Amino acid sequence: MTDDKDVLRDVWFGRIPTCFTLYQDEITEREAEPYYLLLPRVSYLTLVTDKVKKHFQKVMRQEDISEIWFEYEGTPLKWHYPIGLLFDLLASSSALPWNITVHFKSFPEKDLLHCPSKDAIEAHFMSCVKEADALKHKSQVINEMQKKDHKQLWMGLQNDRFDQFWAINRKLMEYPAEENGFRYIPFRIYQTTTERPFIQKLFRPVAADGQLHTLGDLLKDVCPSAVAPEDGEKKNQVMIHGIEPMLETPLQWLSEHLSYPDNFLHISIIPQPTD
Amino acid sequence: MGTSPRLPSPMPVAPPALGWATGSGAERSWLSFSMEEDEFFGEKTFQHCCAEFIRHSQQIGDGWEWRTLKDSSEGYMCKTHFQIKPETLMSHSGASACVQTCLPIEEALELPLDDSEVTETTTGSQVIKYEYHVLYSCSYQVPVLYFRASFLDGRPLALKDIWERIHECYKTRLLQEPWDTITQQSLPPQASPSPAHC
Repeated sequence: MTDDKDVLRDVWFGRIPTCFTLYQDEITEREAEPYYLLLPRVSYLTLVTDKVKKHFQKVMRQEDISEIWFEYEGTPLKWHYPIGLLFDLLASSSALPWNITVHFKSFPEKDLLHCPSKDAIEAHFMSCVKEADALKHKSQVINEMQKKDHKQLWMGLQNDRFDQFWAINRKLMEYPAEENGFRYIPFRIYQTTTERPFIQKLFRPVAADGQLHTLGDLLKDVCPSAVAPEDGEKKNQVMIHGIEPMLETPLQWLSEHLSYPDNFLHISIIPQPTD
Repeated sequence: MGTSPRLPSPMPVAPPALGWATGSGAERSWLSFSMEEDEFFGEKTFQHCCAEFIRHSQQIGDGWEWRTLKDSSEGYMCKTHFQIKPETLMSHSGASACVQTCLPIEEALELPLDDSEVTETTTGSQVIKYEYHVLYSCSYQVPVLYFRASFLDGRPLALKDIWERIHECYKTRLLQEPWDTITQQSLPPQASPSPAHC
């Protein structure tokens, strides 16, 4: 369906206007201007911020520079979470641009993983893709692919090449004709109000009677506190890629169209804005 | 990494492959291992095997423990292991030798002293703390081994230091494809202080 293919493109090309400002305590030889960038929602911070790093390093001495890290309103930003997830979870109710602070000192070991190289991002990305396929297809599809296909997924993401990526990724979105969907749906649900980083559970897209499970069914089952009672007031927004899908949406469709490139649905539960 | 008790039959378990983790605190990264292809089983079986594993560990004093998650029947195995890396200069009368070894603390303490005068100066000994978690991954339906290496003050080991300490039998594969063999991850919610689901 042409409409559905458009959704894939809209998701892939989603951008967040961001303003990067150097942390005031960093030592500079002259004043550092903020740096503006449109961040791809579906990518990872350390993959797309080389220009940001270069911009600020120009005004700093080599000895004052160690590993770059990013923070929003005091919260260190995990580079291994997709950018769109970070924004939806932490900043979606604030005005644009997204204001991120850049640090080159005092790496917060307790909060962030190190990102030693692009290889580390690739490894993390591929490990998520493999886990998603373990859930969807018992790893059969990903394991049947050649190494060059895996590489093409990564290169497509790294170089922002939609067609290159989806040439391979479409195979990960197929399922046997006799089934109505994947074996289990790869998803993670995030809430800032809980201690636990995310919820991930085994959940089938199709019920025993053949009915397709919906987003609402998923939430009722794994995160009931997120969903308002029938007659109650809506306390939370359930957000994926900056939108609130209807709770009646079939989960299988969401998995095929609104997953991130790592093939997971990353779902944010955020408090309803009060304005 | 040291030896751990093998799971008893009739549930043979292939030696785990590799994962990786570094860091400290809730957002630490962990190394994870997962099993070879065909050894799938459910969470109940995992718990049963762990019970046997822990029992055997207790018999041989190997230090593995079971931790249950709050408000849940789920759990995981864990163990902490300290390793001393002495850089010692041992002088016997006449000859001197520089010895660099990496021994578990118990063995280091048992080194017999020579009759002749042995002067041993320890320069920059380092104690390394290894923490292991064995969790059940419902995504893969296999156990996954996570480990983390740090100094006593909590500083994580650098990646290259971890790779140097990997057992010989994994080293070749590791050095050929380090990022395929090792996965850097945050410890999954199961093994963090708060209750978690998989």
